[in-house]
Amino acid sequence: MSLMKRSIAEVVGTFMLVYFGAGSAAITLMISKGSSPPNPFNIGIGSLGGLGDWFAIGMAFAIAIAASIYALGRISGAHLNPAVTIALWATKRFPTRDVVPYILAQLVGASLASFLFAASVGMDAVTVGGLGATAPFPGIGYWQAVLAEAIGTFLLMLTIMGIAVDERAPPGFAGLIIGLVVGGIITTTGNIAGSSLNPARTFGPYLGDYVLAGNSLWQFFPIYIIGPIAGAVIAAFLYDYLSGE
Amino acid sequence: MKCYLCALDKKDTEAVAICIVCGMGVCMDHLVREELDVWEGGYPFPSRKLKRKLPRILCKPCYAAYHEG
Repeated sequence: MSLMKRSIAEVVGTFMLVYFGAGSAAITLMISKGSSPPNPFNIGIGSLGGLGDWFAIGMAFAIAIAASIYALGRISGAHLNPAVTIALWATKRFPTRDVVPYILAQLVGASLASFLFAASVGMDAVTVGGLGATAPFPGIGYWQAVLAEAIGTFLLMLTIMGIAVDERAPPGFAGLIIGLVVGGIITTTGNIAGSSLNPARTFGPYLGDYVLAGNSLWQFFPIYIIGPIAGAVIAAFLYDYLSGE
Repeated sequence: MKCYLCALDKKDTEAVAICIVCGMGVCMDHLVREELDVWEGGYPFPSRKLKRKLPRILCKPCYAAYHEG
């Protein structure tokens, strides 16, 4: 399969993840607009159904990720996430020459998704929903956010290693299980720093918010680069160590 | 082993292969040999088609049944 076709597959897969996943977070904020959150830790996601709001967002991500993995996994590998690409490269499972094209494709897909989500919903998706951008929640420090993102992505990558990379893994379950794991991580840790687990997933909404409304969240972007990449790389090396003879 | 399909026609022909589906012995006139693509990999790696193909021999009735749908 040519690099061009694989890159297009990464664009499409990451587009799906951000359009439906981050889009669900934006829609939740739009639906809850006007409600009175019970405390400052609640920014609107949670004021409708408590943790159920996060569960719904997590399921939107889960379904989009599972669909993308089953549809595109054989073509590009459906990484959909620079942290996953870098972790596979770091453990010598992915060629160096393909790393930059894959990451660029993921960033393009995420950006397209944010702009087309705004086009689908209107400017409220940007001004109210923030296009589902992630940021540390009230009371959460910068490095606490990095830690939460690293631990979340650690679990995601550990699952990918066990259910997909390992040749002993049972076939056919990867898409379903990885989607559900992301959904579970978002449900439990979404209210810490948004549970991005993915630099591309945060990049798209950040770019959309900045271009369409002038809202800059870029000061938080290093959280979503350092945390996910560190978590994914540590998980990949740890899995290799634990599963080695 | 003799060819089962020839035997039905009262002919005594040596079988040269066995159908992988029904297991009957078949002669050269009653077999179909196909070469199937073999793919390696898949999520989270791109799958790739291997150079070597996988040969499969079927008797004509099984071949026809498989391709009917």
